[in-house]
Amino acid sequence: MHSRAERLTDVALGLIAGAALFVLYAPVLIGALFSVVTVDRAGIHWETVSFQWYGKLLDNQSILDAIRTTAIVGGIAVCLAAILAVVLALYVEWEGALFRRLVELVVYLPFLLPPIVTGLSMLIFFVGAGVQRGFTTLIIGHTVFVLAVIFRLVQTRLQSLAKSLVEASADLGASRWQTLRWVLWPQLRPAVATGAILAFTLSFDETLISVFVAGDTTTLPLRLWAMMRVGFSPQINALVTIVLLVSIMLTIVIGMRLKSTDQRDEE
Amino acid sequence: MRLPLRILAFVAVMAAPVLFVLVPIVAFLVMSFWRMDGQQIVPAATLANYAAFFGNEAYLRTFLLTLVLCAEVTAIDLLVGYPIAYFISRRHGRSRYVLLLLFIMPLFMSYIVKIYTMRSILGLDGFLNKILVGSGLLARPSLLFLYNQTAILMTMAVIFLPFVILPIFLSLERIPRNLIQASSDLGAGLAATFRHVILPLSLPGTIAGALFAFVLALGDFITPQMVGGPSGFTFGRVIWSQFGLAYNWPFGAAMGVTLFAVSLVAIVAGGYASRRQRV
Repeated sequence: MHSRAERLTDVALGLIAGAALFVLYAPVLIGALFSVVTVDRAGIHWETVSFQWYGKLLDNQSILDAIRTTAIVGGIAVCLAAILAVVLALYVEWEGALFRRLVELVVYLPFLLPPIVTGLSMLIFFVGAGVQRGFTTLIIGHTVFVLAVIFRLVQTRLQSLAKSLVEASADLGASRWQTLRWVLWPQLRPAVATGAILAFTLSFDETLISVFVAGDTTTLPLRLWAMMRVGFSPQINALVTIVLLVSIMLTIVIGMRLKSTDQRDEE
Repeated sequence: MRLPLRILAFVAVMAAPVLFVLVPIVAFLVMSFWRMDGQQIVPAATLANYAAFFGNEAYLRTFLLTLVLCAEVTAIDLLVGYPIAYFISRRHGRSRYVLLLLFIMPLFMSYIVKIYTMRSILGLDGFLNKILVGSGLLARPSLLFLYNQTAILMTMAVIFLPFVILPIFLSLERIPRNLIQASSDLGAGLAATFRHVILPLSLPGTIAGALFAFVLALGDFITPQMVGGPSGFTFGRVIWSQFGLAYNWPFGAAMGVTLFAVSLVAIVAGGYASRRQRV
């Protein structure tokens, strides 16, 4: 069935894809390499392989603090965004929202706009409202940013559910709350969980909005940025490698979850 | 539900998003019409900020050059990203998802880390120069790759590539297989099927991908700062500097509104173009 032209096309496309994979991953591999061997003008010193820089990270209090802050901000923001996303999605899809398009627009806006615009707006708003920038404003910024992601997943899931589920539940005498608790929530839970993991990785990495709303609080990307402006160091490379490994693992988890929800929908 | 109750529900549900999304954007728009008096921001309606921006040749040049830069980033990513998305969509079974995951994974890798690692590749004694000199292609390390517009272009193209591949793949995946079979049953070759069936049907995703790359590149201020050096001034960086050292928030806001307007026009035009395609 495959013609010669098709095979040739596939080979050509495969070459492009291979080259692109190389370009996408080479930086990552080089960063990882720099973290374990000494590299200077003379070249790569393979005999100096050591994991000392990873050990030194554990002594670096400012980095540990930044990681903790980032994780806490992400955790709280994701919880808030998940609750808000479920409420908004239920409102839009099941309650016949007023101004449905407007609701969707407002939710998606921080995700569609260039982050610099979202960040600037928040900066001006917080300063105008007399709110001290810091931990709380970071959480608000991240919540608004990741809301769209969880909302999208929950909304898609809700749209694929049969309305008859809710009608049957009502016919059997369930209250709205009982329907939500026993009928809708079990269906939504996988989407919320996937959305939450996705949102957490996005929040962990968020930089462009954080710059404007962080105040004196420092998240990991901000800390890294500050360190990089000073120059290169094997310690940064070690940290960078760990961050990359963690994000790769999270991506695989998300990928597998999304795929398994796909398959269930097809059944 | 009765109308008063529905309004109440709307207000309750929308309170947080409106307060933290819409109100800040309005505050930002309003700020762009205020002015500075020494170190003080004065809430007085004026168009002076916009006049200062559009009347200043240096700012305007940076703005236009940034638009060109973002268009170039978008074009490169489309030229590379479309064939890749098409290639992935032609795979079957497990290899399709593994490939997709490989290309999507960079989306979740730290943005700041990617810029940093790109810098170690692009530098004067970065890997790119080492390879080019080592392989004899260049006699001497090239100055082309660091602290200039080319470095920004290359870094952005690498960072935003996955944003382009994903939507194109999703739109290719949605094309019903029987349409492609019908086309080949009717005697169309691979090229004709691609030209008349696949390409038009994948345009919405392609437009969405192009928008992602363009809008993200437009507002980016960290990439230019990290790999652009003194000559790598972009619009995003100019705006950002108004909120730091220069401390002229109203002026920065006015330039931010200009960027906001360009993004909105791009998003609306893209939405319009892809809706026309679907019909």
